[in-house]
Amino acid sequence: MAEKHNHDHNHAPMVEEISDFEVLEIAVRELCIEKGLFTIDDHRQFTEYAHNIGPLPAARLVAKAWLDPEFKKLALEDGVKASLEVGIDWITSPPTDFGTPSDYCDLRILEDTATTKHVVVCTLCSCYPRPILGHSPEWYRTPNYRRRIVRWPRDVLSEFGVNLPEGVNVRVEDSNQKCRFMVMPMRPEGTEGWTEEQLTEIVTRDCMLGVALPHPDRKHNAKRPIHKAINPVHGH
Amino acid sequence: MANNTIEAGKAAAAAIDTSSIEVLEGIRDKGRVWEDLCEQYGVKNPTPPWKMSLEGMCDALSEANCALPPVERRWEEDELSEELYLDVPFPERQLLALAHSMIRRNLVDENELAERMKIVDKRLNMV
Repeated sequence: MAEKHNHDHNHAPMVEEISDFEVLEIAVRELCIEKGLFTIDDHRQFTEYAHNIGPLPAARLVAKAWLDPEFKKLALEDGVKASLEVGIDWITSPPTDFGTPSDYCDLRILEDTATTKHVVVCTLCSCYPRPILGHSPEWYRTPNYRRRIVRWPRDVLSEFGVNLPEGVNVRVEDSNQKCRFMVMPMRPEGTEGWTEEQLTEIVTRDCMLGVALPHPDRKHNAKRPIHKAINPVHGH
Repeated sequence: MANNTIEAGKAAAAAIDTSSIEVLEGIRDKGRVWEDLCEQYGVKNPTPPWKMSLEGMCDALSEANCALPPVERRWEEDELSEELYLDVPFPERQLLALAHSMIRRNLVDENELAERMKIVDKRLNMV
């Protein structure tokens, strides 16, 4: 017999109402299925795929490359092959079995150096290396970022908090239908002797898009920092 | 990117009828967006529960039988975001734009969608 569910402990809060947007999503989906635009099984497979992807495989790939020069060489020569070592198969990945949805099969990994900083964009729409990095952040999809990063990369990077010295060149790579890009940032000082696990924790999504730099004290699962305003509005 | 794909995206953005659609206007005006619901109920999930299903639907529409190619969908979403749904946050805006594109492409009928929404709403709120 199943044990009784204990309701004495504290539950995380839930939204206790159904929004019109939730209703709209279901209504559109049901009509699509009835009209044969896709099947309920198609939808389930693609949704499960969407749930399962995230940036951790890419973070692990970078950490492995930092530790293993041979793996780094492979990653820079053949991103698709290197992805296999972190469990991502671009070629036969589910759910399509012929390449991941809208993501095609060519990953290029861009190595930052002391004199070159890479940053990734898709000026056309929002092409993104989803199999290995998960879903794109909202700002990556905005015309604001897509238009400005190719024209004024230093200014835009500065808005993200990355201020590059004059001697560092910025290369902006434009994703396209065939190629997806991710950045391999430079390993930061202060991580000497770290394990792959430790290094993986500091390679955040934004580092691999090129708009942030890894730091030994900044982990992807860290709590959101709260900085008090220097000039607070009176009473706040 | 192949030029023909860029052209297809541009053509889709130029061709989409950005005039308002009554059923979607109603949702935009009265629908409660996720960030408001989160604030009211003290929830911290960054995205609404239907977001992954929406992603699955977009992928299925492009991959299952190419009913709505992704580049055209995204160009139309950008166009609609600027012209009509600028004040709607993401991902509600993405959902409205998708429904708008589908209605304008005659993949879904506006009245049919309005009727289905009533049925779904009744079903979900049944006690």
